[in-house]
Amino acid sequence: MYDDALHMPRARQGQAPDVFRPGGWVPMREYRNDEPVDFVIVGTGAGGGTLACKLAEYGFSVVAFDAGPYFRPLEDFASDEAEQTKLYWTDDRIVDGANPLQLGSNNSGKAVGGSTVHFAMVSLRFRPEWFKSRTVLGYGADWPLDWREMWDYYTEVEQALKISGPVTYPWGPPRPRYPYRAHPLNAAARALAKGCEALGIDWTETPLATISAPRGLAHPCVYRGFCVTGCSTNAKQSALVTWIPRALAAGAEIRDLAMVGRIEVDDNGLVSGVHYHRDDGWHFQRARNVVVAGYAIETPRLLLNSATDRYRDGLANSSGLVGKNLMTQSNQAVWGVMDDEVRSYKGPPSLAITEHWNYADKGKDFFGGYAYMSQGPLPQLWANTQASAHGLWGGPLVEEMKNYNHVVGLKIVGEMLPQETSRVTLADEVDQYGLRIPRVTYSWCDNDKRLIDHSLKFMSRALQAAGAKDLWIQEDDTCHLNGTARMGDDAGTSVVNADCRSWDIPNLWICDGSVFPTVGGVNPSLTIQAIACRTADRIRAMARRGELNRSARRSSAPISATTDATASTA
Amino acid sequence: MSRAVERDVLAGAGLALSVLAAAAVLAPKAGSSRIRSQRIAALPRSGPQPRTAVRAARRLNGAAGMLAASVLADSSVEHYRGSFKNRAMYTPLVVSALTLATSLHGTSDMRPLAHRLRDGCYLLAAATGLLGTGFHFYNVTKKVGGFSWQNLFYGAPLGAPMAILLSGLLGFCSERVRETARSPRPEMFGLPAARTIAAVTGAGLLGTSGEAGLLHFRGAFHNPFMAVPVTLPPIGAALLFNAAARGQGRAHPFTRAWMWLLTAMGLAGVGFHAYGVSRNMGGWRNWSQNVLNGPPLPAPPSFTGLALAGLAALGLMREHRDA
Repeated sequence: MYDDALHMPRARQGQAPDVFRPGGWVPMREYRNDEPVDFVIVGTGAGGGTLACKLAEYGFSVVAFDAGPYFRPLEDFASDEAEQTKLYWTDDRIVDGANPLQLGSNNSGKAVGGSTVHFAMVSLRFRPEWFKSRTVLGYGADWPLDWREMWDYYTEVEQALKISGPVTYPWGPPRPRYPYRAHPLNAAARALAKGCEALGIDWTETPLATISAPRGLAHPCVYRGFCVTGCSTNAKQSALVTWIPRALAAGAEIRDLAMVGRIEVDDNGLVSGVHYHRDDGWHFQRARNVVVAGYAIETPRLLLNSATDRYRDGLANSSGLVGKNLMTQSNQAVWGVMDDEVRSYKGPPSLAITEHWNYADKGKDFFGGYAYMSQGPLPQLWANTQASAHGLWGGPLVEEMKNYNHVVGLKIVGEMLPQETSRVTLADEVDQYGLRIPRVTYSWCDNDKRLIDHSLKFMSRALQAAGAKDLWIQEDDTCHLNGTARMGDDAGTSVVNADCRSWDIPNLWICDGSVFPTVGGVNPSLTIQAIACRTADRIRAMARRGELNRSARRSSAPISATTDATASTA
Repeated sequence: MSRAVERDVLAGAGLALSVLAAAAVLAPKAGSSRIRSQRIAALPRSGPQPRTAVRAARRLNGAAGMLAASVLADSSVEHYRGSFKNRAMYTPLVVSALTLATSLHGTSDMRPLAHRLRDGCYLLAAATGLLGTGFHFYNVTKKVGGFSWQNLFYGAPLGAPMAILLSGLLGFCSERVRETARSPRPEMFGLPAARTIAAVTGAGLLGTSGEAGLLHFRGAFHNPFMAVPVTLPPIGAALLFNAAARGQGRAHPFTRAWMWLLTAMGLAGVGFHAYGVSRNMGGWRNWSQNVLNGPPLPAPPSFTGLALAGLAALGLMREHRDA
């Protein structure tokens, strides 16, 4: 039978795709819908995938749902930007506000593994002060987490993903050596380095979740350059090829093409399971705990869509903060052309980075920080950028595209402040599942604009110093989304506590980028995974103390981790 | 012939030649011993044991040849990978091929006399090694970031040209040993030959081990066997230094055994590197990319070359009380 990941679930009948072997399968434990599992996890990305793995390894019964397909990277991923849009979440959404977001590529993912399947692999730690940015730096909100504890969880994730990073990291407190060495720099990265050296600031090789040496069945990076459209060699250490295989081996079930539409609440006000759509029908999976890990739009959407008579404003929303404080990271760029060929699309797109303006507090007229990285836009994206952001069309666009091999650019990941006015709410329209679609409202505040302005001026100087000509500025771009279910110390001002447990419903958890009180100036994936690892440890500790239902622990041993490459699709 | 084809042919020829030569160096040379001994017998016998000196010299020729073969194959592959961007990148191919030929000639030469052409060639090899190190050093430091891990990992390998320098030095030593075959003791520049060679070889082992250490660190020692070439050779170097310091007239069975171990390690390294190549995308089916991209197949036999030199020195030491 034709095996179409987009339309037919692959993880079923006791097996799931073996992402490392073409056509291969690994055994998968399955749970009946009427069998209450310890944890249902909604989403299998950086938050959900990580948590599914850790909880399963701790002996809990886990079913992790994903609305997206279960891809086989070695077979399903083409070197074709248009084809690979299948990795994005492109369901209907409404965007508005003063700076409406462009959704659907670098801020979403619809696949087992979530957006880590196509993320740029940039794996950075928060600056320690950001965990107390209100108290220490005077803006945003404090996290209920201690940076020293997070430092250990960062280490755990860096080891789990075999991050390839520099031998010594120039900023922040000491960190253990990255498990793998940094990749060779491409010409675009060397341009960033040149600019930094000319302006007298530090730079380094970007710590990346793509391996520079073999790891098990994963091959080292071949510098193909299609990282952000899905790695077809498994060098990228996405959740799909790291946490998920571990989760399966530990006895978790993954349900692909399964859209969770509503969380059920019982008469006691506790959640009792999830309604999900799979195979053209709605089903109900019973659960003792539900973890929502759908990222900053789908998480609040699911909580709001699950409103009941008891919880009229949606689940976990007594603070009224579900959906609020949506933050992006700004993603503005300065572009230019070099006399020499750059071929910036060779290798991972962001091989060099400076976090100077994350750690320097002097010389700023804004709160927060930003990192900037070298860039490697793929041709279609580049043509789009030239057409939309640069306003070129026809002859001038064709002329400009001839410079493609000489293009060099610097792009920020900038910290945007939390504002309650930037938020996710429900629109009246419904999607293909009959669920109300999210309305995403977003506006920059003055501080955001000052930060962006500062970065563009600085990057222009840096790019000029590196020898680039014909500079132009891409003023409107954003990347990662965070906030919308922030964690905190106080039930009145946050949605979940430090353990990602909702204040209102003790067996409802949220574990993804939604819980960020502030975003910082670094890509969030490493922090999301670190929080998931911490949450798993906390859940285990609470279970041991009897604060979760003790009988929830699964008694049977996990199934074998051996793989079966000979089994075929039925 | 286009430049690209020219490159392919050259690199291919370099590889083929080095494989053949390595085989020749390692092959037992029993066939023509009768003729050789006749030639030896015809020579005037004035030194105490000219035969042992010549044997040691020939062994050193063999060691130098093994190193040259490794350099020829390695620089063929790596400089091909670098598209011979700089014309000077052809130099190690030419010089190591020449050194290889010279060494083969030396291994079959039974005369207790230095050969002017061989001497010249070995000096040329040594000079190439020094110059190459300079070139590689320049390549590393001119890149942005200068003398950094990034450039040490991915720039021209600083230690690589040392192999041809060592080949030249060992060859040069060989000629000196040969030259003094008829004097009371084999010596070089007034120093006892065997002990000097042992010391030079020990230093070579340390340097080569350092190079392996740097590149295996780049590979994050992801396979535990990657620790072998950074642990066994330094011990071998220490044993050789010990032999050099106070080893006259002793057999050094443990050091000899260790040298044989390193000889085997160098050869086994090719197998490990072949496995490393297979772990890249496409494995050996994609050999044309992965041989360039994966761990260098010809690099580990450098250890074999050095260990053979160590054995030659130890042999000479055993047979010459004051060598």
